[in-house]
Amino acid sequence: MERSTGYWRVALLALPVTVFAVFIVWPLFSSFYYSFTDWNGFNPDYDFVGFTNYAKIITDKLFLNAVINTVIWMLAAILLPTALGLALALLIDSRVPGGALFKSIFYLPICLSAVVVGQIWIWIYQPDWGLLNTVIAQVTGDHPRYAWLAKPDTALGSVIVAWSWQQTGLSMVIFLAGLTSIPGDLLEVCEIEGANVWQRTRIVVIPLLTPATVVVVALSVINSLKGFDILYIMTGGGPFHSSDTLAMHMYNESFKKYLMGYGSAISVVLFLIALTVIRIYFRELRRVDEIYG
Amino acid sequence: MRLIRCDLYAATLAVPAALALSGGAMAEGDVTISHYFTGELGKAAIDEIAGSFADSTGYMMKDSPVGHEDFKTDILVRAAGQSLPDVFSYWAGARVQFVVDSNSLTPIDDMWTREGLDDVVAKSLADSATMYNGHRYLVPAGYHYAGMFYNSEVMANAGVTEFPGDWDGFLALCEKLKGMGIAPIALGSKNRWPAQFWFDYLILRTAGPEYRAALMDGSASYEDPEVKNAMAMWKQLVDAGYFVPNANADTWTDASDRVARGEAAMTLMGTWITGYWNGLGLVPGDDYDFFEFPQIAEGVPNAVVGPVDGWVISGNVENQAGAEAWLAYFVKDTDAQAKWASVQGALSGNVNVDPSAYTSVMQKAAAAVAAADAFAFNYDLATPPPVAEVGLSMFAQFMDDPSQVDQILMDTQTGAAAAF
Repeated sequence: MERSTGYWRVALLALPVTVFAVFIVWPLFSSFYYSFTDWNGFNPDYDFVGFTNYAKIITDKLFLNAVINTVIWMLAAILLPTALGLALALLIDSRVPGGALFKSIFYLPICLSAVVVGQIWIWIYQPDWGLLNTVIAQVTGDHPRYAWLAKPDTALGSVIVAWSWQQTGLSMVIFLAGLTSIPGDLLEVCEIEGANVWQRTRIVVIPLLTPATVVVVALSVINSLKGFDILYIMTGGGPFHSSDTLAMHMYNESFKKYLMGYGSAISVVLFLIALTVIRIYFRELRRVDEIYG
Repeated sequence: MRLIRCDLYAATLAVPAALALSGGAMAEGDVTISHYFTGELGKAAIDEIAGSFADSTGYMMKDSPVGHEDFKTDILVRAAGQSLPDVFSYWAGARVQFVVDSNSLTPIDDMWTREGLDDVVAKSLADSATMYNGHRYLVPAGYHYAGMFYNSEVMANAGVTEFPGDWDGFLALCEKLKGMGIAPIALGSKNRWPAQFWFDYLILRTAGPEYRAALMDGSASYEDPEVKNAMAMWKQLVDAGYFVPNANADTWTDASDRVARGEAAMTLMGTWITGYWNGLGLVPGDDYDFFEFPQIAEGVPNAVVGPVDGWVISGNVENQAGAEAWLAYFVKDTDAQAKWASVQGALSGNVNVDPSAYTSVMQKAAAAVAAADAFAFNYDLATPPPVAEVGLSMFAQFMDDPSQVDQILMDTQTGAAAAF
């Protein structure tokens, strides 16, 4: 019987392990390998250049620009959906009229692909007839015709808003699930003791939502690291690199400038950054697990 | 239980086997091909020409088209995996040069001679687009010409009956249109490349083709007085308010739509705009037309700008005879060439194609190219791809804030020098 179970395990694991090895592990090691070459992607012949690509990273202004944008992107992509999701969850949990309907509406964007979300927000930001400028015109009486995605000062922020719009629903649902686990009698005791809504939320609800917050932050970190598609659709890293993140910079160097060796070096650095963030996350997860069991 | 386990093993073996068979099965006469002509009309035309080709030669084309922008990445991935198709479409100029230098293409000198293509392909095109490192590598599928395309009704309403041949006349036209409340020029530089035609023509018309070639190969600098002069003229147009605001927010089709709707009078664009406008129901000659970019400096040769789409044979070609047959058929068959030119809004590189097959606007474009002293590839096909990336960003940055032109040129020179 045990032997039969072993066969099943091998049979069921063979395909996913093979896929993982071929599409994740092998490309990962390939990137390390090519980062030490001057390969242009087309030519089967290339030379080993040692740490030249890594030395170039240090002096590459566009790389530094991409690092700064990546930090902004990650912080905003974690903080905004988390904060907005929590606020919406608390609002809906307070049994406002139509709460169930709003819950569905707020969750809906997460069901859309990044391409669809990107296109919707491209229309919203359109300078002449987009929703945003039209609303500003209605309120102020003056049509700004501001090109939100075409101006370097606002391009990255505009994409972050679109991203947060999509991700907030997921955070909200997780926080709502967390809120159901908070004992009602605990909140009643607080109320009897004279705590107001803000005090109950700050002292009781938010601390007890820590496990849900850990899940939300974890998903936000992972999703923000994957956040290439919406940037590609909405700005392509532009205008003139103002919304370039490391992933976008790596893509441009590899596939537009044909500097595959240098692009591989950038991907290695991006991998190390992601690894560091994930290690910090797991350390904190263990800590939370020890506290909350 | 045993039966289920056997089924599972069988399925585990069968799935990859089926995939291998479906991917690998290929008739002996098949030629694999990839291209970026994925528009409804372009794809239909390719299918039709491939059908005629099969009837004529017995070779079947196994087609795997990829969208225009994605093609640039897709073909690189295939090259990296040493799995390029037998034949693929590519842009003549620096991009083909890059692939040739990477030893990823097969020369076609023998086929060129055997098929007598010297008597088929226009000499100016053959000299500029097909030769790389002393060998032939490409046959032209079709080529385009960039001109100042305008809305005929808007111009007529503005009382414009003659179009400018020089810079002062062009400025006067823009001022007249602006004075009547019409935006003179639409530009959609969201994807950067549409702005390149302004740079190309201003450099060519002021410093000439030789200087421009030096700039493209890195022997001249973006901080030279010639470049600064060209950019100053461009800045003059932007500062005067002749361009529709927020050019970087529009794509080339957005800009074309503005002209078609009469919101702007004209746009500097390639002849593919005719295919786009015809598809919208505009009538060539009646609803739209074009004039040539004005001459600026006296004594400078009259060069025209445009891209050449071509077919090349990969370095790892499996069916070389079939691949060569496709290249020869595509460029030699006048029916195929006429069909292709009509669908793409392109000009044929085949000198035997009857000009009456063109629309009146395309006949005029063909005449403009024939009368020109030189044909130059547009910027991103004239300079190596890593440098083109730097320059294309420069154009978008300039359109956003022309007052920073000196700093932009300095940064461009630094980036271009590093890329070279």
